[in-house]
Amino acid sequence: MTLPPTATAALKSIALKSGATVCGVADATAFDAYAPEKHRPGDLLPGARSVVVVGGAQPREGDWAATSPWVLQTMGTTERIQGVGRRLAQYIEHEFGYYALYVPPGTASGDTPFLSLMLAAQLAGLGSKSLAGPVLNREHGFMYWSAVITTAPFDADQVEAAAACPAPPCREMWEREGTTPCLKVCPAADGGCLSGKLESGRAVRTFYDAARCNTRVHTHWIGGFQKVLEETLNEPDRDKRKMLLYGDFFTRSLWAITYSSTNIAQCFECMRVCPAAHGLKEMK
Amino acid sequence: MTREEQVKAVGLKAGARVVGIAAVDAFREKVPEGYRPEDILPGARSVVVAGGDGPTAGAWRCPDHRVMEITGYDLRENVAVHAMCDFIEGALAHHAIQAPSLPVHGHEPPMSMMHAAELAGLGTRSLAAHIILNPEYGLLYYAALITTLPLEPDPPLAEPACPHPGCAAMYKRIGTTPCLRVCPACLAGTVQDGRIQESTYDREKCHSRAQTYGIGSFQKGLLQIVNEDDPGRRRTMIYGDFFTKSLQSVGFFRDSIAQCFECMRVCPVGRKYRKLQ
Repeated sequence: MTLPPTATAALKSIALKSGATVCGVADATAFDAYAPEKHRPGDLLPGARSVVVVGGAQPREGDWAATSPWVLQTMGTTERIQGVGRRLAQYIEHEFGYYALYVPPGTASGDTPFLSLMLAAQLAGLGSKSLAGPVLNREHGFMYWSAVITTAPFDADQVEAAAACPAPPCREMWEREGTTPCLKVCPAADGGCLSGKLESGRAVRTFYDAARCNTRVHTHWIGGFQKVLEETLNEPDRDKRKMLLYGDFFTRSLWAITYSSTNIAQCFECMRVCPAAHGLKEMK
Repeated sequence: MTREEQVKAVGLKAGARVVGIAAVDAFREKVPEGYRPEDILPGARSVVVAGGDGPTAGAWRCPDHRVMEITGYDLRENVAVHAMCDFIEGALAHHAIQAPSLPVHGHEPPMSMMHAAELAGLGTRSLAAHIILNPEYGLLYYAALITTLPLEPDPPLAEPACPHPGCAAMYKRIGTTPCLRVCPACLAGTVQDGRIQESTYDREKCHSRAQTYGIGSFQKGLLQIVNEDDPGRRRTMIYGDFFTKSLQSVGFFRDSIAQCFECMRVCPVGRKYRKLQ
């Protein structure tokens, strides 16, 4: 079975109908220059030709506008895009007869993903890396990603020519104050996670402390559970142990890692202040 | 369209690969009292079963075994069941509930999805851990609904899906089948005249391998951590990959529910859907 000429358009249409905001295709060989061995499409699916990437499920403008920090801390949105990825993998196999591997969103070991979804999004022309770390789409801003590796030779998209970051207001702020909204809200030099430098309106240096960010973004997730468990076992006093286990921190960690709350991130401050992260659509 | 066709169409549209119908009466022969559909929903007349896809053919081909270990399924069969329940209650005005399938004590569910799938004509038990094989698609995951709506049932399959003719021929030649050969630790069985004559599987052993990371490994890891007196060693155990992966697997982040697929990897039933370009 050969791939019909309309296959890529049909696939993208299904992706958008299934809930993706954007869909792009990267050539599987494009990863070779950037991804380490064992983390390239062909390492996961022999004969891989394309990587289909979908983005979406980002917090809504109403979530960003909410005055309670707990809204974004506890309301899950991330998982919705993974369902679209799974569906596309099944669709490719059943409709076109090519192998399709839904890239697991988890890690192979430690913090290492099977395939970098951020790199996949960039190579599929869906966005570019920001000073704050996340890949931003020019039209829709910050979003979550899911990917499918396939042996089907879908038409690859071009990498984005112009980056969403730094946005014009950020470039102006840099000229004026030597910083940007994201760098200012979370400065590495002052206990935060980010630093960077702009020259001629472009980022020439970026720094992101992933380990520190991880402890803040995932305050109430698996790491939080492990931390309280260790503290509880090290605590000789029975009453204090009880307080640790029934306290808000551990309770919220349990909510976060179970089905009851599907949110896996609690800090969004760099994205909250980013003018490029919220998309171009004006809300009333 | 008949009512049966309408209900099935709703399930298929919602993502099920196959849908079948069993009569409530059919459960009486083999299901003990207390576990029958009418014990769960008074007045139950029919059970509708949906089968959903497991890993894609691409996932089976991945040389990194960790991908299959943590690739989440879409579990669309559950979505399909809910869509059909909504349709039956909303459009046909009969009670409909999702049949409870998670274990409530030990390994026992209130209702067996495997048995429901057999009675609805969607598959038969296999030599491979008694997994229900659909003759067309092989391994599928099943969910069911119980309803007071009377529906014409589908007949159970006349011919078993297992053993596949290739496996029957292999048994005749060398006295084993692909699944029995790949996992002699968990599986045993005999084939005569192309039919399963005897089949056993060590569920406890299989469970500890099929669910290396899950609730059981969380409990195992936690017990070892609690019993460890040295704080330094405790810390290593808490933050180590085994316990972290166990936590990830019991959380929503990773919804794989099995890590060993070896008996299914070698099974030829439904393989045509795994041979792609």
